[in-house]
Amino acid sequence: MNGQCDRQILFIVFALVIIGLLAVYSSTSVITPELAEKQNGKAVQFFFLKKQLYALFLGVLLLLLLSRVNLRILKICALPVLVISLIVLLLVFTSLGISVKGATRWINLTLFSFQPSELVKLAMILFLAWYMSREAFKKDNFIYFIIPIGIMGIFQVIFLMQPDFGASISLAILTISMLLLGGVRLRFIGGVSFIALIAFTALLISEPYRLRRVTAFIDPWEDPLRSGFQLIQSYIALGSGGLTGVGIGESKQKLAFLPEVHTDFIFSLIGEEAGFFGASIVIILFCLLFYRGILIASKMKDPFAYYIACGTVLMITIQAIINFSVVTGLAPTKGLPLPFVSYGGSSLLISMMAIGLLINVSRYQESNALSQAEKIIDDKTLVNRVNHAKNIRNWQRGLGYTRCKAILCDQELFKKTL
Amino acid sequence: MKTRLIVIVCLLSVGFIAVICKLSYIMLINHQWYAEKARMQQVKTENMPTKRGLILDRKGRELAINLDMGSIICNPAEIPESEAQKVAAMLSSITGKDTRTILTKLNSDSRFCWIDRKVSPQVAERIKNSKIKGIALTSEVKRVYPKRSLASNIIGFVDIDNKGIEGLEKMYDKELTAPTEKIIAYKDAKGNLLSKGEMREIKGNNILLTIDEGLQYILEKNLDEAVKHWKASYATAIMMDPFTGEIMAMANSPSFDLNNPGMIKDKKIIKNRGITDCYEPGSTFKIIVGAAALEEGLVKPNARYDCSAGYIEVGGRRIKDAHRQGVLTFQEVIQKSSNVGTIKIGLSLGKERLYEYAKRFGFGEKTGIDIAGEVSGLVRPPEKWSGISIGSFSIGQEISATPLQILRAYAVIANGGLLVKPYLLSEIQSPDGATIYKTIPVARRVLSEKTAKNFNMILTTVTEVGGTAKEASIEGNQVAGKTGTAQKYDPLTKRYSKSNYVSSFVGFVPADKPRLALIVVVHDPRGHIYGGIVAAPVFRKIVGDALSYLDVPPDDLKNKNILVTSR
Repeated sequence: MNGQCDRQILFIVFALVIIGLLAVYSSTSVITPELAEKQNGKAVQFFFLKKQLYALFLGVLLLLLLSRVNLRILKICALPVLVISLIVLLLVFTSLGISVKGATRWINLTLFSFQPSELVKLAMILFLAWYMSREAFKKDNFIYFIIPIGIMGIFQVIFLMQPDFGASISLAILTISMLLLGGVRLRFIGGVSFIALIAFTALLISEPYRLRRVTAFIDPWEDPLRSGFQLIQSYIALGSGGLTGVGIGESKQKLAFLPEVHTDFIFSLIGEEAGFFGASIVIILFCLLFYRGILIASKMKDPFAYYIACGTVLMITIQAIINFSVVTGLAPTKGLPLPFVSYGGSSLLISMMAIGLLINVSRYQESNALSQAEKIIDDKTLVNRVNHAKNIRNWQRGLGYTRCKAILCDQELFKKTL
Repeated sequence: MKTRLIVIVCLLSVGFIAVICKLSYIMLINHQWYAEKARMQQVKTENMPTKRGLILDRKGRELAINLDMGSIICNPAEIPESEAQKVAAMLSSITGKDTRTILTKLNSDSRFCWIDRKVSPQVAERIKNSKIKGIALTSEVKRVYPKRSLASNIIGFVDIDNKGIEGLEKMYDKELTAPTEKIIAYKDAKGNLLSKGEMREIKGNNILLTIDEGLQYILEKNLDEAVKHWKASYATAIMMDPFTGEIMAMANSPSFDLNNPGMIKDKKIIKNRGITDCYEPGSTFKIIVGAAALEEGLVKPNARYDCSAGYIEVGGRRIKDAHRQGVLTFQEVIQKSSNVGTIKIGLSLGKERLYEYAKRFGFGEKTGIDIAGEVSGLVRPPEKWSGISIGSFSIGQEISATPLQILRAYAVIANGGLLVKPYLLSEIQSPDGATIYKTIPVARRVLSEKTAKNFNMILTTVTEVGGTAKEASIEGNQVAGKTGTAQKYDPLTKRYSKSNYVSSFVGFVPADKPRLALIVVVHDPRGHIYGGIVAAPVFRKIVGDALSYLDVPPDDLKNKNILVTSR
């Protein structure tokens, strides 16, 4: 169990968190009269930054914790966590719930408020990983397919009651993707997706205002003052940034022009202040995270670890892409934060936990490579390793043993394999 | 299962690529366009706050000032449709405006509209406390006239945007309006400027009038009393410095409150009737005939005219005297305002010279006073005169003139033969008090000094025993003047009205060294019609008060020689 944790992933996450903190500070440090009023005249310059830092601290702790938990314990926990997340999610409808702008998405935990929908995503990953990695799981059986869909359905109903379309969409995509990776029949997924699509369309058409809001992203200029307002302001922020941006901290759109600039639309602020370069760096960081995560996942031999890795990577990537799409007008506006970057403790916490799990399984894979070598080496790998060992031997002859641990490791492997 | 992972990776990669493409479309290709959009909404080119110049009387007392008032503005985009009804009802209860009017404003598609402008401090306070989202208070400058109705016809008023629309406010709008200077600053979405330090207030120039607040008050008070007493439809009075043409006071009754010009029902009372309305001057015009005859050397003051018939026939029309007189001297013809005598003088002058002198005294042309709306009156050239015209003309009929024109003709007698140009603006001062412009009095000689002096003496007899206006005489100072009683021409019957008269008195005081010339014109008095009875007492009261106000010593002070010894 002493394998190396994946430094690349940690570095990428660190970079995103730093960018996020800068952007959150930039967007919330300017005291507009309206915000000052909300905070009862308290100095708000560091208010949001402080809260974000607390969440980050907690997030780092949880990351470290989750990266060291034995996978067997995680397996045992999967189902209870799902139940707990359901209970916590239902708490928003009790007196603990906090309503903001007509949506009940938060619960009040006196010290801080928490968004349970974030937890649900992680719980769903754990659950599906456990569920699909069980021996009993039959991917060709419709019953085995419909159970997780049904569970997701329960969450969807609660999300729509809150309402929280962002969480609903991202959970749906996440669940379907994981089931897809789990190998269930395509026609099952196709059928369910088709029914969901019909239900979704019916829901939209039944309420014309909802349809208008959803389709506003196609042409925001049609109603520039109401449904198209936020997107237009996002365009203006991004567009005025240009190639190099207006300068860090120099955003003008954050001055109450762009609603939700510190949360869902923080990417617009980055684009405005750091320009196309800065925005591209953020996108590239998410790309790197994605490919790095997929690389880790693809090496997994243990199905549970594989699903965990895929699930966490997909969760973060899907959220990021939806957020980018919303901000750039490729998708209808819905409340979904940019992981690691947007202001919001729950999102940051859960994203950090997801990374913790990812790192955990990455270590699991490396540390278990030896012990599992005998069990699951197939011909192709064997041939590869032999070739590799040959190379090493050749190399040893020329240059000696001065390289690194990995080579020694490989030497042992070589001996064993032969 | 590997293939499925690859498919998902590909799909998400497509997502990343799509985002990059859209991002470069917005940020690189359309950068200029969005940058312009951003500038439009973020940069505020705001006019610096301005304050209109003050209007001051001749002693620098304020007649028109500025006050900062609260105006209620709203951003309809911030008010959800569901709440509009509630907000409208609330605003309506505070401001007293119609709920429906407010509701249409709240539902409009703009991002800015006025709910109510320049509201009272109490209303502003309540709006402030109500803290309705989307409703805000802004400061606006309101023009306020602290003396309310004082000199209302002269000062005029401004519209809601502080642009002069009447009177001197309109006439000198350019001088009073502060020059606009723009300030460029970043603002937030609520319109709050990020750099307020550069803001400063720009003030317009002040104008100093020739009007004296005290004299204006005396004039208005007495005029109001006269209108009430005689149940007249309206009255006009003008007080002028006969030597310079400075209008010291000018008033109409009834007048109106300048702070509430919207409340006026009869728009006629806004008019400055001393210059916008003509009337047939009647007997007050006789001095033109008399002065012309003296100037031409046709008569001597003691020339005699037989008026014993009580009437005279001119061109088939019989013109009567009000009271039958005997044989009158030239002086007595004026003193007793004999129509017969005046017509006889007029006949001896002839059409051409009558017309020429009327023109010389400034009739039929604008006086050039610096306020909008002046009319020139009508003097028909002799070619168009009918047979009776020479008779009518001599006694001030078939001619129309403004009260100011009559007053100016009397000022000629008062100042020794000069026709002055009346004016209201004395000075234009910069906001810090430096004089930018000063009006220089203009006058032209129309009568020899000797004639003027002689005629001055004749006019003093009018207010003495035997004259038509004993009522106009005051204690201590000699009054020179002339009454006028004219029938009004009724446009319906095309005849002179039997019931509607214009009673006037015009004169100057003290006669030997005039300080002021004053005309009082009362339209449609009831009970009495004669200028000597209706207008002369008003004249006396005004002049009495005005002379005390101006601290003019009695004429006989020097004769009695008490000034030095008693003090």
